[in-house]
Amino acid sequence: MAGSNEVNLNECKMVVPLNTWVLISNFKLAYNLLRRPDGTFNRHLAEFLDRKVPANANPVDGVFSFDVIIDRSTSLLSRIYRPATAEEPQPNIVDLEKPVTGDIVPVIIFFHGGSFAHSSANSAIYDTLCRRLVGLCKAVVVSVNYRRAPENRYPCAYDDGWTALKWVNSRSWLQSPKDSKVHIYLAGDSSGGNIAHHVAARAVESGIDVLGNILLNPMFGGQERTESEKRLDGKYFVTLVDRDWYWRAFLPEGEDRDHPACNPFGPNGKSLEGIKFPKSLVVVAGLDLIQDWQLAYVEGLKKAGQEVKLLYMEQATIGFYLLPNNNHFHTVMVYDSVVLLLTVLLIPALLQALLGSAFSRFIDYRAWYLVKKWIELLKPGARAEQILQKNHNPEVMFAL
Amino acid sequence: MKRDHQEICGATSYGSGSGSKSESSTISIPNKGKLWEEEQDAGGMDELLAVLGYKVRASDMADVAQKLEQLEMVMGTAQEDGISHLSCDTIHYNPSDLSGWVQSMLSELNNPATENLDPVLANSDSNSSILSQETGVRLVHTLMACAEAVQQENLKLADALVKHIGLLAASQAGAMRKVATYFAEALARRIYRIYPQDSLDPSYTDMLQMHFYETCPYLKFAHFTANQAILEAFATANRVHVIDFGLKQGMQWPALMQALALRPGGPPAFRLTGIGPPQPDNTDALQQVGWKLAQLAETIGVEFEFRGFVANSLADLEPEMLEIRPPEVEAVAVNSVFELHRLLARTGGIEKVLSSIKAMKPKILTVVEQEANHNGPVFVDRFTEALHYYSSLFDSLEGTGVAPPSQDLVMSELYLGRQICNVVACEGMDRVERHETLTQWRTRMEASGFSPVHLGSNAYKQASMLLALFAGGDGYRVEENNGCLMLGWHTRPLIATSAWQLATTESG
Repeated sequence: MAGSNEVNLNECKMVVPLNTWVLISNFKLAYNLLRRPDGTFNRHLAEFLDRKVPANANPVDGVFSFDVIIDRSTSLLSRIYRPATAEEPQPNIVDLEKPVTGDIVPVIIFFHGGSFAHSSANSAIYDTLCRRLVGLCKAVVVSVNYRRAPENRYPCAYDDGWTALKWVNSRSWLQSPKDSKVHIYLAGDSSGGNIAHHVAARAVESGIDVLGNILLNPMFGGQERTESEKRLDGKYFVTLVDRDWYWRAFLPEGEDRDHPACNPFGPNGKSLEGIKFPKSLVVVAGLDLIQDWQLAYVEGLKKAGQEVKLLYMEQATIGFYLLPNNNHFHTVMVYDSVVLLLTVLLIPALLQALLGSAFSRFIDYRAWYLVKKWIELLKPGARAEQILQKNHNPEVMFAL
Repeated sequence: MKRDHQEICGATSYGSGSGSKSESSTISIPNKGKLWEEEQDAGGMDELLAVLGYKVRASDMADVAQKLEQLEMVMGTAQEDGISHLSCDTIHYNPSDLSGWVQSMLSELNNPATENLDPVLANSDSNSSILSQETGVRLVHTLMACAEAVQQENLKLADALVKHIGLLAASQAGAMRKVATYFAEALARRIYRIYPQDSLDPSYTDMLQMHFYETCPYLKFAHFTANQAILEAFATANRVHVIDFGLKQGMQWPALMQALALRPGGPPAFRLTGIGPPQPDNTDALQQVGWKLAQLAETIGVEFEFRGFVANSLADLEPEMLEIRPPEVEAVAVNSVFELHRLLARTGGIEKVLSSIKAMKPKILTVVEQEANHNGPVFVDRFTEALHYYSSLFDSLEGTGVAPPSQDLVMSELYLGRQICNVVACEGMDRVERHETLTQWRTRMEASGFSPVHLGSNAYKQASMLLALFAGGDGYRVEENNGCLMLGWHTRPLIATSAWQLATTESG
């Protein structure tokens, strides 16, 4: 059996602040109650215990939210988060789907985590996270309330993600005024990261442009037991036993973890070579037992010739992004903001203004190159403060 | 929460993250608002958790963490039937009040409202063995965790765990259930300081040992192998004197006497000195045993002499009291079955006794002891050793489970249960079940001036045949170990017989 927990409770208390420990331990405790050995899930108790918040069309901290039904047949809901503008500090109902303003407005389609079984778009933890994303990335965030396992197995979550993508892509009010296109990014944590990948793959096949994937501790796996799984099993809130349970609950019955949904670069995966897969930012927590699979995912993308950046947070545990009381949170949030700012907003806009639209493809590449430089600079360290200072000083950025 | 998001990139002030020990820098989002600087509002609630829907006072955070730990220990991570009632039957209230919610689950586990402890097991036979196995593993881990807690003097946690052991044990069957129950009881005694009194009527403990003797081959093996060594040592003697350090009901001696009676050339004169504890009702239990053996001796034609000695401890004995005759007149054998380890409870005890034995100039000293180290200085180590040892022992008693448990079996279990209680709950002079391994005894004996007398293949073969007669020999194994014989259950040796002589003695 995995290393006993007694010793490790002290260890994991030392790497996260106490309130984070309490929060994640509470989830662990609740989740243990919900998973039944026979593979069923205590959904009623899960919904009872989950702390939820309603949408709020009144801006709080400059962000307001509202829920929409994207697909009636599956009751697919999404919660939309938008920044309140200076002109319309108090949107009324007709303003909810008012066209976005600003040259380019990124739209982040966000898939919440929960190992395919837990949480919802209106879970407090994810509502909070999405609100932060709006502010940091100056984006509209669409949080998808996808169908969950074990009641709805593969491919329901992916189908819902795809439906949401199509919906977002077809909203005229989400088109960036600059080019009348919806600038779509896919993001997600844990199972949400996994969904983002698969929805992106489907987007490529269908010709919908996804500009970037942001995967936070994405949930991947495989039949093999990797070194990190064995080493970290049970040590930082997560066990192999529970990981296995969730895959059994999500994957089609009888399938093992080398199913491509779980292991996209495994024996049954489809090659991504030669296709225009979105650039990916993958965040891996150093204390997450499935990191070997996440790192293999990054390698898989690289081998397929795809753009990918790994952000490895050595001392981070799962869920570090839920509370803003640790350095990993800030690093990732800054990353996200800088990545988006640079690739989306400032550089292409400025360079295009200078060099004309013929160079738009070139700008893209240049932007990404600059982003890479930023990213190298943006390791946790004093440099980051410089970045922040430079961030709002375009002349300095140009000097790069 | 009054921050305006537009200020995030424009501001130039920097706060530092709270509490993180990461080696990374103190990079942080500018700290205009109250959110990151102060994590409490006027009510003392942790504001970060409040945003996520949980009301926990900052001052209660450590306490909630501790309760979560407790609950974690008790519940563990395995999918187990023991806690399924928490999810099925328990009514949960107000999950936002984390402290209250966790506390209510702790209370629920300690005082379960429902009697159906394992609804899943009850409903699903096919899952039962898997669940039972997982619960079994869980049980062992909980026992260990409880011992750890006791060692760390975290008695609150230990108390919670010991109650949970009871729950888990109830869902087990057979040996595991019994062992866990005895260990749980012993732990509880230790936690609540209700130490078992050793001043029980010795005739009661003798009776328990009788049942143990009947139920399983361990004592029979002990007597048999010791007798073999004594017989061989007495081969040429005309007068023999056996000093039995723990006479009890004298069950070892009829077989020896019969073997002596059948010796070619006729039996030697047989003297037996039996040592025993004082009886509370002042009856002379030793004399009664002596009398019975005298009657046997008469029927088989062996000249017999008996002396009984009452002593609280073997260390109280002086060799002069025993009226030892010179070796050329009478060959002496000293026999100790499960007695020597008790002397380790007081300083100087074993040394005194070993030197007394040497003064008796015995031809042979036979020692039978439990093959385990239950005398280590660290409580948790002792506990773990004992858990494994007695699990094997109880397992061997379990049998096929076809026949209903006999009274013998129940008494045997009680007999062992008392040992468990002593190993786990007692300390100091009260802890007398200080078993040590053969290796440890060897070191001690050799250091005290004894050299080994090897038990040979004939003894080995006969012991094996003896085993085959009892309990069909299934699972029991005789092992030879550097001249000593061990009896074990499957791969686990449980008792060891060794024989010794004075180091300066030459053979013949």
